[in-house]
Amino acid sequence: MALLTDGYGTRGGIARYNQDLFGALAEGGASALILPRLGNASGLTLPPGLEQAPSIFGRFHYFLHTLWAGWRHRPFDVVFCGHIYMATLGWMVARLLGARFWLQAHGAEVNEAPDRLTRRAVEAADIVTVVSRATRCTLLEWADLAPERVRVLPDTVRDIFVPGPPSEALRAQWNLGTGPILLTVGRLAASERYKGHEQIFAALPALRAKFPGLVHVVAGEGDDRARLEARALELVGDRNAVRFVGFVEEEALPDLYRTADLFVMPSANEGFGIVYLEAAACGLRVVGGVGGGSGDAIGEQIGVRVEPNDCEALVRAIERLLSQGRVNSEAIEPYRLKNFAITAQRLLARLMAHPRRMKDAA
Amino acid sequence: MSDRMAARGPDGSGDWVSADGRVAFTHRRLAIIDLSSRGAQPMLSADGALTITFNGEIYNYRELRAELEQKGHVFRTETDTEVLLQLYADRGPAMVEALRGMFAFALWDARTRSLLLARDPLGIKPLYYADDGWTLRFASQAKVLLAGGAVSREPDPAGIVGFHLFGSVPEPFTVWRGIRTLPAGTTLTVDATGPHAPVPYYQVAASLQRRATEPACDPKAARAKLRAAVHDSVRYHLVADVPVAVFLSAGLDSGALLGTMAELGVRDITAVTLAFDEFRGTPNDEAPLAADVAARYGARHIVRTVDRAEFERDLPAILEAMDLPTVDGINTWFVAKAAREAGIKVALSGLGADECFGGYPSFADVPRAVRFMRPFHFMPGVGALLRAALSTAIRLGVNWHPKAAGLFQYGGDWAGAYLLRRAVYMPWELANLLEPDLVAEGMRRLGPVGRIGAQLKAGRPLGAFDRVSALETSLYMRNQLLRDADWAGMAHSIEIRVPYVDPFFLSALPPGEILDAVDAKAAVADIPSPPLPESIRQRTKTGFTTPVGQWLHAAAGMREDVSFSTASRAWARHVWRAGWPEMALT
Repeated sequence: MALLTDGYGTRGGIARYNQDLFGALAEGGASALILPRLGNASGLTLPPGLEQAPSIFGRFHYFLHTLWAGWRHRPFDVVFCGHIYMATLGWMVARLLGARFWLQAHGAEVNEAPDRLTRRAVEAADIVTVVSRATRCTLLEWADLAPERVRVLPDTVRDIFVPGPPSEALRAQWNLGTGPILLTVGRLAASERYKGHEQIFAALPALRAKFPGLVHVVAGEGDDRARLEARALELVGDRNAVRFVGFVEEEALPDLYRTADLFVMPSANEGFGIVYLEAAACGLRVVGGVGGGSGDAIGEQIGVRVEPNDCEALVRAIERLLSQGRVNSEAIEPYRLKNFAITAQRLLARLMAHPRRMKDAA
Repeated sequence: MSDRMAARGPDGSGDWVSADGRVAFTHRRLAIIDLSSRGAQPMLSADGALTITFNGEIYNYRELRAELEQKGHVFRTETDTEVLLQLYADRGPAMVEALRGMFAFALWDARTRSLLLARDPLGIKPLYYADDGWTLRFASQAKVLLAGGAVSREPDPAGIVGFHLFGSVPEPFTVWRGIRTLPAGTTLTVDATGPHAPVPYYQVAASLQRRATEPACDPKAARAKLRAAVHDSVRYHLVADVPVAVFLSAGLDSGALLGTMAELGVRDITAVTLAFDEFRGTPNDEAPLAADVAARYGARHIVRTVDRAEFERDLPAILEAMDLPTVDGINTWFVAKAAREAGIKVALSGLGADECFGGYPSFADVPRAVRFMRPFHFMPGVGALLRAALSTAIRLGVNWHPKAAGLFQYGGDWAGAYLLRRAVYMPWELANLLEPDLVAEGMRRLGPVGRIGAQLKAGRPLGAFDRVSALETSLYMRNQLLRDADWAGMAHSIEIRVPYVDPFFLSALPPGEILDAVDAKAAVADIPSPPLPESIRQRTKTGFTTPVGQWLHAAAGMREDVSFSTASRAWARHVWRAGWPEMALT
């Protein structure tokens, strides 16, 4: 049984992760009843063995429905909880059903210790999977969990992200000229200003002096877009230097990565940063930010990380990596879906070898 | 990392990396058995499928080898290391139950792509590991893991609080969140999903429980069993290709070891005694009595005298060598230093006898506290109220030891009474020493009373003597004495062997109640033939003292004549501030 904030039919990093994880587990023969807070799976073909109930956003309604669904469709071997905020519910249901309790943590939600009850629920998990070592480290600062119960299962790169020729059509569509293209892909949310868009804007005057015609393409949408557009104009002074292209569908992202010359997102707090790997999978070198879990994603074969607020360091890093050409995408092979699936199935097997919490239900 | 532990193994070093580069071992050798290069480590099995890095000695390796040879195993060396490889091939992880010795090892099985970490049942040899979610690192010392640069130095509140409570860091914690101790008597398997939970294969309380179910024996038979067990254990602990010396005090336990060695036919025994310049010519001087014992058994006697000046000169090195903070280990440092000066590599120590034979005051104090304070254990809140009142009185000038305030709150159950007896600082004092948040989190994670009580879980309840024996063996001996013997001995490249710390020895003894009835502590004097001199028996009854307590107190900046236990409080503060300054939060 899976308690998810974002199920099939939603978009975003957490949704992608959940879909990849349950797809992998289903491929290994597991079956799951997914209870989402968000997501409409009607019209979608789910992997065999997976069933998704209609979404319920209201907390109390979701709570009651989960208890009823758990009881009605029992037995379950595992209760999976896809977010720490629902850990208490997941723990209760797991205890009621005598099931093992698997908790998932993604990143920012572990930065602060939760209330006592939630913390107790987290500490009761039989296994906690996290997307990066940094997330694991932060979690263990406040959660009294035996370290072996917290395992790292990073985000995965889908198979559509592979190297290929740049798209002249995209350059023409957005009138990007012939100069180097810096690319940033990510939500433009006021709550996610740590992604470092403004730091890039501040570096552009120096970069454009060295690379005439250099353009910064910003892909993504969010409630902070208008403010960021204003800041770009303020910091760069040239409306053509920064192109806000809005949300780009996943299927169109590979072309964008192949057309750009460098992926830049000096983020201070990515839980992992799958975008870095997607870019590298398409052959693009990356500049990330020190902080958060992106150190797991950005190995020295694909890029560098800089202090987000060190403009000179950012300029130097961009200059250096622009001169190095495309990256060998083999470096991201460990993060491919097939390896993710193997690890996910092994973790489930490891969890199943763990004794049930209570006496087996009849 | 290898360089950081050079003192542990000055006789050689070796590295191994798996073909795919995902597993690597490094080893420093102190050659004791099979001194040839064939004993080099890491060692691979003949087919290359198994690789081991091992610290310790397997005393029954010859019997195990004979069994394996009968089954068709072919050996290439005379080492105990190779026996471990072959035994694993024969029995898998269950092999640890057959081992008699002191050991910590890591064994890579390329066939299953799994790593087995194992530690001896009583915790003689250390094993630390750090798991960051991607990479598992392990080593014989925690500071070696830090030397590699990839392990976080984030402090662990549980370990820090534990040190201030007990004077040593209770396993499985260290003072760094990223580093754990593999508990004694456990194995840990690492596979493609990472490390699994440590799996216990030996528990002291369970072993004492099994011993207690054996048929009763009369005092004469009990003493005969005691003698036979000591002889057997000493014989096994003499397995070596180098001379084995003995650390000799004026106590019965080490004297019995020397006498037994002589009785077993060991020739040219060297006995090393630590003496203190301040006690020279006084009744507190152990050297003359130790000399009597050495003379009785024909041992070459080395007396190494230490004074305050040498202690103060060595203090920085002592603090640096301390792998985890501890309030003890000073005597072992100097006697191991003396052994190294004399060219000794291996020495027997009487460590562990007090835990077996009831040599500590705790064997009387803890049961007495439980007996008299039991009613308060069933009055929720009363003990805490009385503790608060008594603490206030002590603070206002009543001349009681600070721990006395906790008698009503903690004294009524075995775990609480043991905490009261052994604690350096009590829980309510910690907020004066450390940041309150750290204390709260450390107490929450450590759960000291519950952790102590867990050592007594053995099915049926143990008798009073065996309860205290289980607690002292599983806690004080393991976390304090054995750990101190390792870092202090290995700092001088001395292997310290402990015949009284042996699960086979413990099982061979009579039950605790009988050991108590025959006064096993005194009966030790009659184990060797001839028995220990009468002068030693009389001296034991009057007790011992050392000036180390005064030196520690002075080093901690205080100038009073104090007992060692009182000095430990100030010394604990000094060790913490001097040795781990980045974590001295107050």
